[in-house]
Amino acid sequence: MAKFHPELDLLTEHAAGNLPLAQAACVSAHMNYCEQCRRTSSQLQALGSVLFGNLQGVPVGEAQLDAVLARLDDEPPLSYANARRETAGRTPAILQRLMSGDFSDLAWKKITSSLSISYLKTGDPNYEFALYHIKAGGRIPEHTHRGSEMTLVLEGGFSDADGSYHQGDFLLREPSDVHAPTAVQSEDCICLAVLDAPLKFTSWKYRWMNPFLQLRPG
Amino acid sequence: MTVVDQVEGTGGDWQQGGGRRTDEWSECLTLIAANQDRAAFTRLFRHFAPLIKAFALAGSSLSASVADELVQEVMLKVWQKAGAFNPDKAAASTWVYTIARNCRTDMFRRLQKFDTPLAEEDVFPDQESEEPFALLQGRRTRERIRELMATLPPDQVQILAKVYMEGKSHAEAAAELDLPLGTVKSRVRLAIQKLQIQIDR
Ligand SMILES: [Zn+2]
Repeated sequence: MAKFHPELDLLTEHAAGNLPLAQAACVSAHMNYCEQCRRTSSQLQALGSVLFGNLQGVPVGEAQLDAVLARLDDEPPLSYANARRETAGRTPAILQRLMSGDFSDLAWKKITSSLSISYLKTGDPNYEFALYHIKAGGRIPEHTHRGSEMTLVLEGGFSDADGSYHQGDFLLREPSDVHAPTAVQSEDCICLAVLDAPLKFTSWKYRWMNPFLQLRPG
Repeated sequence: MTVVDQVEGTGGDWQQGGGRRTDEWSECLTLIAANQDRAAFTRLFRHFAPLIKAFALAGSSLSASVADELVQEVMLKVWQKAGAFNPDKAAASTWVYTIARNCRTDMFRRLQKFDTPLAEEDVFPDQESEEPFALLQGRRTRERIRELMATLPPDQVQILAKVYMEGKSHAEAAAELDLPLGTVKSRVRLAIQKLQIQIDR
């Protein structure tokens, strides 16, 4: 069971749907391993639904209702009779969506004798989303980050000056933090790392207002 | 085995007492899943569509026509996914809210031309909780939070609304309210404590 979790403010932003996609995917992957955060998150979502219910409704015309009713026949209710529930504990479903196959099928780029990196494409232009494979006992050279770094241990474990981390553990490093992680001796470590790209837009949600990015709905 | 008794007891009440106001929307969803009931869908639409539109327009980042598009999209999802709704696990309004939130986020990403294999539904998978106690909690949580919300000071409600309804990050909320980030974070934390949201670490 995970010992290191996202802070409450991060869980809140996640539940509200405000995190950038790459970070949201990382927090979501942590919850695959963490019953406590799942529970907190579902309550934080219930909180959102109370605020939603307290909104002052904005009138919606009958034409809108008619338009939806007209579309219902084309979109019959889906059957969930044999739905497969996500089983917690395995490789997070969200990562499986981003990989074809398992970790060994990925293209790994060798960085040092003990570190390989595989980049996954989330489509989030502001964050790098990568898997780090550290050989058992291997060490990553000391480094700092230009931005924040989220780390989630997927397999094995590693330690640094501050502690040791195992499957499901989640860490958020701020730019100034310096660390030199070392994988556990007994097995290779695979973790997910989400890094702020050097160029970051402060408010990802409103960037579409830029006329060059404007889209027409529908 | 009090917990199990209570779970069954509450379930039984719900089966018989369909008239309870808070269960009206669960009942509609169940009817849609069972018989593709359009009358039930219409009732849901009349209640939730104005809220979804308000949610789309909160923070005034989407135009009215995009907001209408979102209303249609969310309500169609509600129709299609009604069979996945589990009244034991969550309140119907929480379930509808999470669909609205996911669709709004997906819409923001479409407007930004994100080229992503992920939908927001992938970020919030329907994970089973193994614990019967969590199940019991899930159903009652919303009612408890709704009651406690009325006791929060306005400055805390205001920040929660900015974060959840307007989709502002803590940092954006701080900038807008001209408050230090730490103040925003501590107000959110305080509010969450008062709402008795469970944080086990
Ligand atoms: Zn956790």
